[in-house]
Amino acid sequence: MPEQISIIEIVANSGPLVLSVLAVLALASLASWVMIFQRWFFLRRVVNEMDEFEEHFWSGIDLRQLYSELDGQDDLIGIEKVFVAGFKEYSRLSEGSGADTEAIMQGAQRAMRVALTREEESLETHLAFLATVASTSPYVGLFGTVWGIMNSFRSLINMSQATLASVAPGISEALIATAMGLFAAIPALIGYNRFSARVDVLMKRYHAFSDELTGILHRAVHARG
Amino acid sequence: MTLELRYYIVPFVLALAVHAAAIMAAYVGWSPDREESRLIRPQMVNARLIVLVPPEVKPRQVVTPSVPDKIPEVKPEPEETVPEVVIEEPPLDLDEIRRTREREASETLLELLAESSFLEALQDEADDLARSDAADDEAIIAQTYRFGIYKLVVANWSRPPSARNNMEAKLLVELVPTGDVVSVTILEPSGNGAFDRSAEAAVRKARRFDVPVESRLFERYFRRFTLLFRPGDLLR
Repeated sequence: MPEQISIIEIVANSGPLVLSVLAVLALASLASWVMIFQRWFFLRRVVNEMDEFEEHFWSGIDLRQLYSELDGQDDLIGIEKVFVAGFKEYSRLSEGSGADTEAIMQGAQRAMRVALTREEESLETHLAFLATVASTSPYVGLFGTVWGIMNSFRSLINMSQATLASVAPGISEALIATAMGLFAAIPALIGYNRFSARVDVLMKRYHAFSDELTGILHRAVHARG
Repeated sequence: MTLELRYYIVPFVLALAVHAAAIMAAYVGWSPDREESRLIRPQMVNARLIVLVPPEVKPRQVVTPSVPDKIPEVKPEPEETVPEVVIEEPPLDLDEIRRTREREASETLLELLAESSFLEALQDEADDLARSDAADDEAIIAQTYRFGIYKLVVANWSRPPSARNNMEAKLLVELVPTGDVVSVTILEPSGNGAFDRSAEAAVRKARRFDVPVESRLFERYFRRFTLLFRPGDLLR
């Protein structure tokens, strides 16, 4: 009985095109796993910071004090940036030469909107890459497989008797490309779905927070005016 | 949006670990069991054991005392309770194959004989294995398949009431590589139409036989072969 050939040996003996398809897929898989872990840690950190900040914010602390606490730090993340941007604009306008209340509120809202957009962008970093890997790598793998099968059938042309043994190695080699494509695509797809759902939830919380902050500032402006 | 490299070191290490684990799994774990590819071995050993039971072993009389073998013949006509079907392949050594076929036919005796001749058989088996070469192996594989055909035909045969002990019908069977029967022709009729038809019907009813996948073996032994029908169960 012939020795069972391991998958690694089959890969090592396959043709240049199948080999390069496999290399591309391996790179895509590696990169997408890096992104998955990075996003995972990042989003976990953002959610933790958000919980902490909201707790702090609603603990009854003076907003001016909170602002001066945060303003100096340079590793602000997520919701803190929105708060700092909105409050900075508000205090700058309200301390300046008597702008009217509408102008102050509009300025603060605009600053928060810009900060929100930036935050959304930073939350969604790499998600597009994961989506691309998830949707294209099965096709890349299929391409490798189809090519490999084509070649192994082409080698049959000159044979009078086609046996399974003469096509089996080529097909088995070619199918590895599809397996590899799926191996790259599945984690990327799961990661993409999971992370984009989490980003959605976070963005809703951001928007709710910025509306709440607008309300508080509005009240403060009118109380002052 | 700035890509700070320090946030990527741990994820990169983890991703490498995931892939290393996957490669290890591919290298070690995921190859199919090798036992599957050996499945044919035990069958071959069985067939040899059948072959090795010598027909003239004494217990034969003890087992079937009610049937004194009246017909004087060189090869022992089987008196057991199954019809005998001899499968020959024309170009090869006919005698050898006929002999092995008949010993296979006496398979039912094997269980009774096995105990007495088991050690002897094992010894012979070892000797046989020692001198077996490729051609020998091939013949043995063919024989195991022939045994399967024999069993299937016997299972599908219903004995017509007019069948007699001395009747013989020779059929030519043609198969396609999938094992499907494409034609059955009566080469030498027995003279009894019902018996001939029953023999032919048995092969047709079997419809499909298990044949070797290797085309060389198939072409050599199973593309066309003859079946010899002899009813041996009239006492039943």
